[in-house]
Parts: sequence; C-alpha cells; structure tokens
Amino acid sequence: MEYVSHDGLRIDGRRPTEMRQLRAQIGNVSKADGSAVFEMGNTKVIAAVYGPREVQNKSQQISDHALVRCEYSMANFSTGDRMRKPKGDRRSTEISLVIRQTMEACILTHLMPRSQIDIFVQVLQADGGELEFISRTRSACINAATLALADAGIPMRDIVTSCSAGYLNSTPLLDLNYTEDSAGGPDVTVGILPKLDQVTLLQMDAKLPVDIFENVMQLAIEGCKAIENYIREVLLENTKQLEYRRGL
Amino acid sequence: MQEAELVTPGEVLGRAAELKAGKGAYVAPHNKTIYASLTGLRRIIPPPTDSADQRPTVEVTGHKAHGPVPEPGSVVIARITKVMARTASADIMCVGPKSVRENFTGIIRQQDVRATEIDKVDMHLSFHPGDMVRAVVLSLGDARAYYLSTAKNELGVVSAESSAGAAMVPISWTEMQCPLTGQIEQRKVAKVEVN
Repeated sequence: MEYVSHDGLRIDGRRPTEMRQLRAQIGNVSKADGSAVFEMGNTKVIAAVYGPREVQNKSQQISDHALVRCEYSMANFSTGDRMRKPKGDRRSTEISLVIRQTMEACILTHLMPRSQIDIFVQVLQADGGELEFISRTRSACINAATLALADAGIPMRDIVTSCSAGYLNSTPLLDLNYTEDSAGGPDVTVGILPKLDQVTLLQMDAKLPVDIFENVMQLAIEGCKAIENYIREVLLENTKQLEYRRGL
Repeated sequence: MQEAELVTPGEVLGRAAELKAGKGAYVAPHNKTIYASLTGLRRIIPPPTDSADQRPTVEVTGHKAHGPVPEPGSVVIARITKVMARTASADIMCVGPKSVRENFTGIIRQQDVRATEIDKVDMHLSFHPGDMVRAVVLSLGDARAYYLSTAKNELGVVSAESSAGAAMVPISWTEMQCPLTGQIEQRKVAKVEVN
C-alpha cells in the first residue's frame, strides 16, 4: 500500500514532516493540584497530578527525595470496542513505568524529601482501536503529564516533550496516525528535555538500520521541539489569564 | 519593582557567576547556568548590603500556593487529641496566621509543658482532649510527630470546654472556670495579651 504519494502527501494529506493538530488545556480537574488535557490528532489524554503530599504508605517513604508514582489507564470507551480490563494488564503496567521514569528524571525530587507525587494519566480517546497499535498514546500521555506537573507548580528541570516518528515507503514520517502505524513499520518514540538537550525516553518497535534510525530519531526530536513551543505557549497563556484575574 | 517576565520550566535565567538561584530556580552543575523550575514571574532580588556574596538572587514565583508547613520556631495552634502520663498528642491546625492543608501531628512532652518544676508536671492537670493550645515547634521530631512546647507565658491552652459543655474562662495561669456551673478545672493556661 502506498503511504506516501509521489507528490509527497500522506494518507491524511499531511507532509512527511507535519504533525497532527495539538490541543491542550490546563486546570480541568479542579480538585487535583495540577491537571491537563492533551490531544494529538484523535488521541485524547487527561492527566491529574496530586502532590507533593504526605506518603500514604510509610514503608515506601524515602528520606532524601520525593516518591513519584504513576498510574496509566484507558477509559472503557476509549477504543472502538468496550475495553474489558482498562488497567492492571501488562501493557498498562509497562506504560505506567515508562511515564514514571521519564517524569522522575525531570522533577527536582531532592527538594521534597519524604513526600509523594502521584501522576494519574487516563486515555479518553485512542486513535484507532486495536490494543497493539496504541503506542502513540505514550507520547500524548507524557505531554499531558508534563503540563499537569507544571500546572501543579512542582519544580522541574525542564519540560518533557515526547513525539514519535516512523519509516514507510523509504520516507521518515513524523507522528504516525492509526493507519500508518498498522502498516507494521518501525515506530520510534522519543522523549526529551528540550532546553537541556537531553533524551529521557527512547523506544522503538521493529528494526531499522542505524543510519536510517538516526534520521528518524532526529525527526522525532524536531517534533518534540515543536510540541515544546506549543506547551510553553499554553503555560504562558494560562499564567497571563491568572494574572489578569488577580488584577496584576 | 524590577520588571517581571513570565518564564516556564527549563528556560535560562542567567549564569551562576552573576546570579544566585532562589526559589523556583536551580543551577545546572555541568554548565553553571541557572534555569527556571516553575512557571511564573521571574524576579531579581538585590543582595543584602552586609553579606559577603554580592550577587542578586533570581527567583520564580508560581501560582500554586502550597499550604504552610510547621518549621522549628514557628508558633502553631493545635488541638489536643490524646493525653497520656508523660506526653500529650495534638493535631496542628494553624501555623502562624494560616491554616494548614494537610494533617500534621505534634507531641508535647512532660518536660516541655512549662518552664518551672518540669518533673512535677501532671499532664492531666495541664491539658484535656479537645483543648486548643498555642505552642511553639521545637523541632521536626521523629517520623510520627513534631515536638511542641508550651513552656512560655503566652503559650498553653487558649480555649477549652468544661465537662458541662461551656467555653471556660481563664482565671489564672493554672485554672479555668466554667461559666455555667462555676466549676474550676486545671489547665496550663496561655496568657493572652489584651490590647
């Protein structure tokens, strides 16, 4: 099947280096310390952050830095067929671990010893329906978690942004959608700290020769930088709104 | 006031050679640059004139105000929950003028109830469960509770209910009287300033 036409357009009309539409809102869950809704194309994710607060299980308390916990789940209605086990299965556990490690690398945990930060991420809508191909929710989850942490005022080294890229018809493609992902080609997911230029997450399905892998990874990193600009705009806009309401 | 600029986490605020990192900012050790760690207004605070280090401090004030946390030396208002032979447990409700948003537990030990004759203190004649006391935080204590002290004139029970259920009136630094029944009960009473 042809994923990139001869004049360089993909199935949904995007160019190979074009991302899907990004939309984000902050502060949706008023009871949480921080929350955000992040949409990348048809994938919609909500994240809520509680913390820093007292550790609920005293045996897990760490004396010199904060404990970061993360739970990923998918809403029953997020895919085409109603999901039977939205969390607790292997995939959710793996993604919870991945998000936790990524965010833990950027939170300044040494400033909050003996406390706990909880990050809850739930997928409200997953592009496509098949369980195996929903790896793109990973990027939307990390971006939503970053926004929620920034909204909660938790000190971080930098914001973490994540994006994925693939390789079909000999072309690196940024931000695969469901149809392109189902083609079975390689899918590289990258998470970076953009201003510090450090990679905190790198995962890939399938195989790629190393030189092509470098191009695809570079493309994903540029996607991350574009998301970074958007996230910073959203944060600044939100802060300006808060300033206006406080009369400053 | 200095000009205030909005920043997001990870933005460069300056070099460690020229500025000190305050709240909401941190120094990256590998390149000695100061980055923001919160979203908010960036402010530069001039250094105190008598300090050796004359670098101004840069800090970022965010919007999420977290609740106050008891620090050693802060005056707190607590409600007594349990009175035992040598200690009394209390729930800290306010730190200074602000109420706390999480529960903090404090302990008042027998030797910290008052300043004189500390080994002759009877805890049951000093506090009752339900009393509101003003105390000062001695230290962060152990994992379970802060250590509090009422060993000053202005510290101690500020409000208590008698067994008849009425708010008692203080009559001396060791006694409070119930207005309904006239009964006198013993407490370690705080000397409240009347202006």
